[in-house]
Amino acid sequence: MRTLKMLMSLSLAGMSVPLFAGHAEDNWPEPIKAYRTGQLLFDRLEITRTENDENLIVWDMLAWYGGDRNRIYFKSEGENRSDDGEPTELESVELLASRLIAPFWEIQGGAGTRGSVASGAERENYLVFSLFGMAPYRLEMDNSITVNEDGDIAASIEAEYDIRLSQVSYLQPRLEVEAALTDAEEYDRPSGFNNVRVGLRYRYELSREFAPYIGVYWSRALSDKAEQIRAQGGDESEIGVVVGVRMWF
Amino acid sequence: MRTSLPQGRRQFIKSALGTASALTLAKIAPAWAYPTGRSYGDVIHADQAVDLVIRRENQTIAGLSGRPITINGSMPGPLIRLKEGQRARLNVTNGLNEDTSIHWHGIILPENMDGVPGVSFPGIKPGETFHYEYEVQQNGTYWYHSHSGLQEQLGHLGPLVIDSADGDIGADREHVIILSDWTFEDPYEVFRNLTVAEGYYNYQQRTLGDTLADIRRQGIAKTWEERAMWNRMRMSARDILDVTGSTYTYLINGRDNATNWTALYKPGEQVRLRVINGSAMSFFDFRIPGLEMTVVSADGQPVKPVTVDEFRIGVAETYDVIVTPQGNRPYTLFAESMDRSGYVRGTLATQLGQAAPVPELRPVPERGMAAMGMSHAMGDMQSSGSESSMEDHAAMSHRPGPMTSGRQRPSAPDLGIQHAPGGHGPAAAMIARNPVSRLNEPGVGLEDVGHRVLVYGDLVGAHPWPDEREPARNIELHLTGNMEKYMWSFDGEKYSEVDGPVAFRHGERLRLIMVNDTMMDHPIHLHGMWMELENGHYPRPRKHTISLKPSEVVSLQISADALGSWAFHCHLLYHMKAGMFRVVNVS
Repeated sequence: MRTLKMLMSLSLAGMSVPLFAGHAEDNWPEPIKAYRTGQLLFDRLEITRTENDENLIVWDMLAWYGGDRNRIYFKSEGENRSDDGEPTELESVELLASRLIAPFWEIQGGAGTRGSVASGAERENYLVFSLFGMAPYRLEMDNSITVNEDGDIAASIEAEYDIRLSQVSYLQPRLEVEAALTDAEEYDRPSGFNNVRVGLRYRYELSREFAPYIGVYWSRALSDKAEQIRAQGGDESEIGVVVGVRMWF
Repeated sequence: MRTSLPQGRRQFIKSALGTASALTLAKIAPAWAYPTGRSYGDVIHADQAVDLVIRRENQTIAGLSGRPITINGSMPGPLIRLKEGQRARLNVTNGLNEDTSIHWHGIILPENMDGVPGVSFPGIKPGETFHYEYEVQQNGTYWYHSHSGLQEQLGHLGPLVIDSADGDIGADREHVIILSDWTFEDPYEVFRNLTVAEGYYNYQQRTLGDTLADIRRQGIAKTWEERAMWNRMRMSARDILDVTGSTYTYLINGRDNATNWTALYKPGEQVRLRVINGSAMSFFDFRIPGLEMTVVSADGQPVKPVTVDEFRIGVAETYDVIVTPQGNRPYTLFAESMDRSGYVRGTLATQLGQAAPVPELRPVPERGMAAMGMSHAMGDMQSSGSESSMEDHAAMSHRPGPMTSGRQRPSAPDLGIQHAPGGHGPAAAMIARNPVSRLNEPGVGLEDVGHRVLVYGDLVGAHPWPDEREPARNIELHLTGNMEKYMWSFDGEKYSEVDGPVAFRHGERLRLIMVNDTMMDHPIHLHGMWMELENGHYPRPRKHTISLKPSEVVSLQISADALGSWAFHCHLLYHMKAGMFRVVNVS
């Protein structure tokens, strides 16, 4: 958390440096003021039905506030499996300071937690560093490395691409890969690639801000993680359909 | 200044207006835009002080209820008509609940009368009246607008015409045409949408269907090559204007297409059209199908007559053209937005109620390789699409046509352009690797129109300007941008990030070199001083606003003869708001 605080204070300092570029009496307004804004974006807010007839509510959202170069981000992903009596599962809840380091890339650092909403004891707290932005060929990416309190290192890559079918409709392939650099037995994360998830969504914008979609996904556990699941008698792969909405405010 | 009307004109008005009651007239035209044109109607005259009251009030715009900023009750504001040599006295009263201002665009005046809050004065507080007073040292077609916040987008603007000392308008009749773009959205919402959602207003992007069509037409390899170029850069060849007809209603003298603002003429008369682009974000292509236009003035300053069929007018520019309509028939005044997402039309007619066919919008243009500054480097790409081949610099310099043949070709100046090491940082998504002079290109979407289009290379000053010294030094500024983050700046630094003004030495003659390192066209405006465009002609044309195409370099000669601080900025309102703004200090 100390790192986070430091990053945040650095970032806020960067946002509020007053500079003087013109000629003005003290009581005159600046002709052009620095501009800050924010956005609350639900990239995915969806109901998932798996091949095993399970229903899940899944979200993937972010909120940011700031200027062009320095921003604060709040990101969260998670799911709630209906009728299983289990509490909501947080895949991640993160607070990050962000700095634009290249025209299309922000470097972000902060702290996060994941695990069950119900019990703090089962949650994993971690520091996170992300490379967030748009890769050549217009791939929207969020690449993260996390380090938890035990020093376990994990990495994830998320990439999305919009194929424009019309001015308001898109086909969006999506790829998510999770890997662990160290064994984290406590959190069922053996070292190596853990999981790959591929999705395809068809999205229709009723407005730029509100776009319902339907889609499918295929998810598969990999290498040691897959063996682990097989050993427990589970399915190493899963297919499902989704109905949801992408929206922002 | 009010003169009695010649008998012929009186008769003309009578017959022309015979069918329209005075009441109807008042509804369809602002007081200054009476169809009969100059000298008739409620024009504000110069000999007394002019009182202007700024208010926010409900008005019907294009048949819907809007809430523009009005000046003396109208949006756009009244035509202010001054005379060269007089002392202008203008009292501006702020009836808004926020600060306001009026900037007299293109007028040479003292620093404290320029009307830019924070640069030339503190602004006008609610309820206050500011008294502008200055000697009018020029004539021509200009305009005025707010320089506070985003008020310009709400219609806080109007035309300003200065008669020459002898009162000659160089034609039998004249009409003032001010083009603008109106949105029913809150301008701050528009700005936020641009900032948080790239392409929010662009409903003309390439789709999968376009890609498949291209593959069928030119094969997969060529299509991939083209698309890859743009996609690697994470830019769009269809980014022509940031804000489009998807939210804008384009207006001619405040009137929409259905209202059909009409200007009257008598067959055989020479009619001067004073065309002003008073829009916030829209470049227009202006033409009158069936009628050629002789450009006689650019940005209020006389140029040697050049006859064209169409001209592109950047935001804040003005052009005066002379037309000689014949045949007792109506002509459509057609202003098409540069991205073809909309248009506004009016009619030039012999009688009210007439209309001529309205042209269809032309296809959505695409930026070619020249926009990336690759016209030389990418020789193998020249034939990869009509736009890229047309925009190719070498091809352009051999452009055939009556307008260009046999005329001296302005050459690309060898200016030794310097990019900052490592580019301009995150604020610049692109560096023009090989910037070139594009003064002889008509611009994106006008390459293949098959008729004469005005280019900057056609402009020749009507007479030499007083200061003929060679510039003693060069100042270089790069136009930089990052569309995805909606960052706009000079040299990669927005206004709030630079630590001092651009310094001009009083009395010096300097050369301003600008390089457009972005994929957009930018109209760059210098307050307080003229910019003489080095386009290879003598006398040079002089401008208050110069539009740069993507990857273009232009050079301008400036006499730093105006003491004080002056705004210098991109006249696309939201680019200025985003930080594409500097202060020039002459001391």
